[in-house]
Amino acid sequence: MLHSQLPWYLAGPALGLCVVACRLLLNGRLGVTGGYSEIVGRVVRGSLRFDWRGWMLVGIVLGATVFALIAGGPDFHGYGWLTATFTGSERVLVAPILVISGALIGFGAKLAGGCTSGNGLSGNAMLSRASLAATATFFGTAIAVSFITRALV
Amino acid sequence: MSRRVAGLGIGLVFGVVLSWSGMTSPTVIRGALLFQHAYLFLFFASAVITATAGCWLLRRLRLRALIGGEPIGWDPQPPARRHIVGSVVFGIGWGIADACPGPIATQLGQGAWWGVWTLAGVVLGVALFLRGGLAETEPAREPRAAAAVSDSRRSPDRRSRTAPAGP
Repeated sequence: MLHSQLPWYLAGPALGLCVVACRLLLNGRLGVTGGYSEIVGRVVRGSLRFDWRGWMLVGIVLGATVFALIAGGPDFHGYGWLTATFTGSERVLVAPILVISGALIGFGAKLAGGCTSGNGLSGNAMLSRASLAATATFFGTAIAVSFITRALV
Repeated sequence: MSRRVAGLGIGLVFGVVLSWSGMTSPTVIRGALLFQHAYLFLFFASAVITATAGCWLLRRLRLRALIGGEPIGWDPQPPARRHIVGSVVFGIGWGIADACPGPIATQLGQGAWWGVWTLAGVVLGVALFLRGGLAETEPAREPRAAAAVSDSRRSPDRRSRTAPAGP
């Protein structure tokens, strides 16, 4: 974390208002995985006519670019605990670990009907018990995995 | 304003906020998951509270979507097995890579190139899911939205987005 962090009591409500804006404008559920799914689903059929979810993902990427340009470069160097743990010749392991993790993230989020945004933010905002169960499960799992990997390395 | 422009605009704000809150950094995410600091939980909880209050209000006021004019509404789905199984799979990936789909996109946007590997994995995982023709799960159904002409549903070969209610 190189740049100053927006206080949580501003950042959280601002993120929540994105979910509300999505409802107000489109009656849509804001979910980032939906954007990936839309783009992947279209591209494999040879089309680039993404719906709003695909364009939202494009917007997220561009928003981050705007932030980096103003803040002066990315928010971090290396890649967290992975590049700190796997150094020297072991560094080649980081890429496959990230690819496998990404595949679990993509497949798991599709299976669960949402990720941290689709279930965690939007689903819970709809008072969906499915999203509450999903949120408790992915937070619990990620916390457990973090403590396990810390114990192992 | 078209639905696509609205999506792009929401994404821009979302991307800036996610970046400014530090969620792009895997070190920040890991620190939160190891309970070293409370920022992520306070950030997440205040986002959920704001979103819940706002969505409740929109539905309570019986508003229609500003674009398309659909009545704002949804029917929550009961939890099914795959919400749990999927979230365990997702949580394992999140706990190792310390990035979820939003931050993976902001890493790409910021030029944090390690994230390209995670992105490739997500594309692979989503493609495998779509190829498997598995029914997509939704935390809530939007019954009116299903009938309305929405650009996400125009495609004839799009697989069913309406999941059955039970496991």
